[in-house]
Amino acid sequence: MAKQMQMTGTAAMLLLASLQAAHGQTATSLPSVQYLRDGTIAYAMTSLRWATYLKPDARVDCPDGVNDGPREQFAALFPDQGQPRALADTQLRREIQGWFPTTRPDYFPFREPGGTQALGLNLDGEVGPEDFTSLDGEPGIDNQMYRALGCINSHRDAQGINDSLNSGEIVSNEYNRLLVELNGVDDLGNDDEVEVMVYRGLDALHTDAGGKDILPGGTQRVDVRWGKKFIQRLDGRIVGGVLTTEPSDLFIPWAVFNLPADEYLRDARLRLTLTPTRAEGLIAGFTDIESWHLQMMKSQSTHCQSYGQQSSMSLYKAMRRLADAYPDPQTGANTAISSALRTTFTQVFILPESKAALAGSGPLPRAMPYGGAPFPRTPEEEAGDVPGRVVATGEP
Amino acid sequence: MPLPPGVRVQATELEGPVFADAKGRTLYRWPLSQLRNGPTGDPPGKSECNDVRTEVSAGLMSPYPGGLRLPDLEQRPTCTELWPPLKANERARPVGDWTILKRKDGTLQWAYEGFAVYTSALDRRPGDVLGGRSDKRGGDSPVMREPIKPPPDVPPGFAVTTKSSGRLLVTAKGFSVYTSDHDAPGRSNCDAACTETWIPILAPALASPHGEWSLVERSAGVRQWALRDRPLYTYRLDGDTNKLKGSDVPGWHNVYLQRAPAPPAVFTVQDTTIGQVLADAQGRTIYTYFCGDDAIDQLGCDHPTQTQVYRLAICGGGDPERCLRAFPYVPAPENAKSTSRAWSVIYVDPLTGRLADRRRKGALRVWAFRDRPVYTFAGDRRPGDAFADGHGEFRGQRNGFKAFWLRDDFFNGDQPGPG
Repeated sequence: MAKQMQMTGTAAMLLLASLQAAHGQTATSLPSVQYLRDGTIAYAMTSLRWATYLKPDARVDCPDGVNDGPREQFAALFPDQGQPRALADTQLRREIQGWFPTTRPDYFPFREPGGTQALGLNLDGEVGPEDFTSLDGEPGIDNQMYRALGCINSHRDAQGINDSLNSGEIVSNEYNRLLVELNGVDDLGNDDEVEVMVYRGLDALHTDAGGKDILPGGTQRVDVRWGKKFIQRLDGRIVGGVLTTEPSDLFIPWAVFNLPADEYLRDARLRLTLTPTRAEGLIAGFTDIESWHLQMMKSQSTHCQSYGQQSSMSLYKAMRRLADAYPDPQTGANTAISSALRTTFTQVFILPESKAALAGSGPLPRAMPYGGAPFPRTPEEEAGDVPGRVVATGEP
Repeated sequence: MPLPPGVRVQATELEGPVFADAKGRTLYRWPLSQLRNGPTGDPPGKSECNDVRTEVSAGLMSPYPGGLRLPDLEQRPTCTELWPPLKANERARPVGDWTILKRKDGTLQWAYEGFAVYTSALDRRPGDVLGGRSDKRGGDSPVMREPIKPPPDVPPGFAVTTKSSGRLLVTAKGFSVYTSDHDAPGRSNCDAACTETWIPILAPALASPHGEWSLVERSAGVRQWALRDRPLYTYRLDGDTNKLKGSDVPGWHNVYLQRAPAPPAVFTVQDTTIGQVLADAQGRTIYTYFCGDDAIDQLGCDHPTQTQVYRLAICGGGDPERCLRAFPYVPAPENAKSTSRAWSVIYVDPLTGRLADRRRKGALRVWAFRDRPVYTFAGDRRPGDAFADGHGEFRGQRNGFKAFWLRDDFFNGDQPGPG
């Protein structure tokens, strides 16, 4: 459907060769497989990480140090001074603070990254005082999530335990088998109008004999039964081999530790560098904080949060303070936070027969509309001002 | 099968045949298991369950330390009050897998396969299995008391696993077993093309028929197991263990040795992103609450006769009213009756969560599974939502809520069964 910038076959081959060269392939080793067929190419997600560090091997600079986790905060709040401590007043109060977090000021200082650079996209089209500059100099980058997560050991670099666990499950857990299919592609280098379909796949990824490297050319069936929620349509364009989609709400299946859980990004957009065999880049949008928090609490117990000094209650307060979008109509407080995820994909072929149930159903859907916070609470409950509530020790 | 005097086999709705004492009370054991910070449970030949009330937590589950005073201490039973040992008299002698151990107080107790045997104070009638379950709940669950059972009557190479849908026949490796409507009694019609998808379960050369189990000759010298004259298969596209996927193919069925009792007739089944879940009449997902404390004796805290402090913390931040809003009970109409023992109607005090006299003002008449109330969740807005699955400590495996899964296609079939 490219209406402009049609490339000749030779130009396309040259671009293809340059894209492959960028990924370690040479023009002489061009794959014989035709990955783009009848205007369609598909990819399966192979990693997904919050863009909370600039480079995988470089820790975020935290001028004030890193944040304490559940274990350290418990010890500070409830020191063992030889007096009996009640489980209800200590352990359960901390669990309550995790499951019912409030926006009251934190008892502990919250440490944020220094610097002016962050990964992400300019989500609001503006350049503001809280915005970052990208590594290649683009101003106006909206990624407040970086401020929230950057100085938590779990997310400070690619060795952060929760960061790597979460991303590992993208591959190992078939619940998370996200597929992106580009339709109407005349040219993988430039096409000003492509349809981008998002599905959940049903099959394991195709790997090398060692089981580690994920290879292109695998096949996937579309989950048209349990995965209806994840069937979503986006509009995109390709410029210089980079796919960019128009803002649209997006569900991403992201179960961790065998619990079904999803991310919900509002005004999400993909920016992916495409080759015939791989795609990589960013998914950016505004993360619904209540959904994010509940997902994290469910999939990572307080024990798992302790792996990387991630205090859920401190993090919630920080996220609400840093939130920069979707104000609550009642209170005016922002409910979503600008975010970016770095992601990689490998090419797959979607078996046509597995999409039979989709055929003839008319235009495929946008993301299901936002249904509200998964754990509805009153403004007073969010603020922690409910009379008679259990007052958590340590809150001012 | 030799049994001690008075011990018998008792049929139950959810667990199938279990061992029971002379009064029909289900027998349990509590094998030693490793938790995050150390082990607890009974080692072989010894009982760690005694009559001293445990007062502080053990700190077996990180990150919290041990030594924290347990809630509702004045009402907390001792281990043996909740789990009375199955005593043996002085004249008792070991028989088969049953042996006798001496408790710390000098009394004798029966042991099965080396592990001390108990009854549960929660079981009131023969056939009750309210104290524990045999299905595994995941690594961060309490060290569970499990009902002890006679081995299932299946040939080598087969096993039975207890799921929310019933006692499912699987291979020894855990793959689901299927039968086909296309087969005739005692004969397989699954040809070469069919066997590319459906794998006949072949019997070894020395296998012999017994009971309901027979052998079907596929070709000369190649025999296939059959149950009740139905040849048995596995499904190549199941991909993993404990799956129900093959039963989506018309004419093919999972095999159950016993189906789970039907839920109340007004309940529904809803599709979710992982499979199917039980829901109320409006399509709202049904949840069970599960709790085991972090004391050395790992007592339960999810029955309405037990402390409610844990549940109230997780469902409403300690506020009973908030609990009722977030996790409402599932009301049972006045004329509602259960057709099974597993499902029942009970009365609870909505503010304390404890059992209530039906005549008490404000008492709620609610549905219960395994004698414990079931709930819906206010955050679930559409049929198939299950946002509160895993809500609670250790992903709901220690102190929290689990959706009542009927089918799980994505997590190795290991979503813990309800209750």
